[in-house]
Amino acid sequence: MTDETNPFGELVEEYVLECLPLAEQVADAFVAVERCWREGEDASALLTAIAGPLHTIKGNSAMMGLAAMRDTAHALEDACGVLRHDAESPDPAAGALLAAGGSLLVELVRRARDNPEADEALEFVERVRQWLARGASPALETQPERRRTERRGTASSAGQADDRSASVVRVDFRRLDAMLEILGEGLIQQAALTESVRGLTRRIGPADQVSRLDQAVVALEKTLKRLESTLMETRLLPLSTVVSRFPRLVRDTAEAEGKRVRLLLSGGETPLDKAVLDRLSEPVLHLLTNAIVHGIESPGERRAVGKSDEGTVRLTAAPEAGRVVIRVSDDGRGLDEQAIRRKGESLGRDGRSESGLALRDLIFLPGLSTAPQVSALAGRGVGLDVVAGAIHALGGTIDVETAPGAGTSFTLSLPVTLAIVRSLIVEVDQERYALPLAHVAETVRAEPEAIRQINHRGVAAWRGGLIHVADGGDVLETRQARPAGRRFYVVMAAAGRRRGLLVDRLVGHQDVVVKSLDPELGRPVLVSGTTILGDGRVACILDAVRLLEGGRRAG
Amino acid sequence: MPGESPPSGLLDFAAAVAAAATEEAGSAPVPERHLLTFMLEREEFGIPITQVREVIRVPELTRVPQAPAHVRGVANLRGRILAVVELRARLGLAAAEVSPRSRIVVVDIRGRVLGLLVDAVSQVTKVPETAVAPPPEEVRTAEADYVTAVVRWQSRMIILLDLEKALAPTESPSSQVDR
Repeated sequence: MTDETNPFGELVEEYVLECLPLAEQVADAFVAVERCWREGEDASALLTAIAGPLHTIKGNSAMMGLAAMRDTAHALEDACGVLRHDAESPDPAAGALLAAGGSLLVELVRRARDNPEADEALEFVERVRQWLARGASPALETQPERRRTERRGTASSAGQADDRSASVVRVDFRRLDAMLEILGEGLIQQAALTESVRGLTRRIGPADQVSRLDQAVVALEKTLKRLESTLMETRLLPLSTVVSRFPRLVRDTAEAEGKRVRLLLSGGETPLDKAVLDRLSEPVLHLLTNAIVHGIESPGERRAVGKSDEGTVRLTAAPEAGRVVIRVSDDGRGLDEQAIRRKGESLGRDGRSESGLALRDLIFLPGLSTAPQVSALAGRGVGLDVVAGAIHALGGTIDVETAPGAGTSFTLSLPVTLAIVRSLIVEVDQERYALPLAHVAETVRAEPEAIRQINHRGVAAWRGGLIHVADGGDVLETRQARPAGRRFYVVMAAAGRRRGLLVDRLVGHQDVVVKSLDPELGRPVLVSGTTILGDGRVACILDAVRLLEGGRRAG
Repeated sequence: MPGESPPSGLLDFAAAVAAAATEEAGSAPVPERHLLTFMLEREEFGIPITQVREVIRVPELTRVPQAPAHVRGVANLRGRILAVVELRARLGLAAAEVSPRSRIVVVDIRGRVLGLLVDAVSQVTKVPETAVAPPPEEVRTAEADYVTAVVRWQSRMIILLDLEKALAPTESPSSQVDR
């Protein structure tokens, strides 16, 4: 993708690829430095650590003729140089200056392709100059010497980086997508082969050559599986690639709101498919922003109720049973249930008779989120329907817990990858569907007496309780005059909800390669994608969460 | 997979440009139009051959729950998922059973690749530009603005379709989960 107006088109992409992580590293470190100083700690180690990245950014920017970035990095270097000598008793303005510079640098590098105007950079450089002049520190005169030592430091740290990255190749993610697409075709062909061999075995019995063919196919299947898992691992990136910019954004939001907020991150090493990560960043950031803007109280309010001035927002992530669970929690004021319920009633959703469950349903309603009265009154619920929609689109679930005065916690459960979904293939009215195994709790043979009708709805006993068992043909709108025998029901489970789905046949398990929905198909709620089965037929992948929601709303 | 469908404003503009180009072509010494013609009910319809990728027999179609009514289903076209549209439904005709003569015309409308289920496909026809006439005013209602012209030629009457209009993305609301 070369840009005609910019001869450096591709080089700029390279530049952004290399410098953006460095700039983010620098900006994050500055936020940490600011915190250290506020708490009276020594930040000299942090300042030393960022000298290398800063210098690299400056050098690369100069090479690309990107003056704004070069000057900003240079000014930050100067400021750091002074502060390193003075790291224990800094000027309170220094922390803010560095943090602002870090944010600016990230912004500039991110927009490098448009070669941004240097106005902001000039302004910042001027700020630094004024601050340095006011400091009138002797360090200014020792600058040349500092430069030299710094360059030495850079050389050695770059050397270490080279050692680590010697066997690392940078690959355009689209290539991984293409590889996955090809692997998907291979998996489909292998499934077709397996099916033909099975048919052959049935026809001519266990002849020697047939069983050898069978062994070869089984071996092929294993090899493809290995290729698949290796490729999926290649596509995984730690969550930290997305969340590393959050401390800075949290800091900026908190500052704008006049609040003091500490962000605690854990589980940043949790791996997720890049396709999931890319679409996860916005909703999670939305939740964090909500927590700061609406959850955490002002320092005064907090003091009045006996809390520390500084609020805490936690972002934790951990793998859990083949999925990743991400939690965003705060120790703020909690949700105002009263206001949410009032608003819910005004939308025609009566939540009075129910407890926590109903609140969870109400808070993700679209109408609730856009209403300004609620955000003014209760504070929470801004755009949560959008967050929930994004999480559902990823095949995830979202849940909320809150305690008045003690805080709110949102829990997201997400699939590790979107590309290949281990599924149960079922048949309903001659159509085949893929049900993601992550949401299949059990398959049960549907004995005629086992399913009772209560208020025209099928109900069955399951694991010591009762669950609603819906007819697959009803749900999928394929019900025919004389339905084939519904011989099984599949118990689907997600986010604490359970529901049975009556189907005609259980066809088998298959890793299905998800193909996105053609826009021509509109936005069918129950279908999250399509896939090609071993026999070449297309099957719809059903959205288990929506299936369960439908059952809950209807029941 | 085709990308996002262009906004309808853009489509209108494109159609206007295309119409202007057609008019110009009418006065220029370009004598023929290449059409793929097919049957729906008892009428013969034609589309520019340039929009046609291929014509295939009707493969096994998979129904998509909650898809718009005019979508007959999806099919596996050499590893790619093809949405198959019931052109009859879009033209206000009753749906028909798939017969041995039924075909799917795979069209490419500015990157949107779609299958059109038709009753039967005639051959590629070259018609002289002089045989192309605008449709009678009465035929050209607001809903049926996809009829761009009528060809009367060799005792045939071919209705020319503007597929972009006939297949304009509808704002059919996605059906609800409830009930």
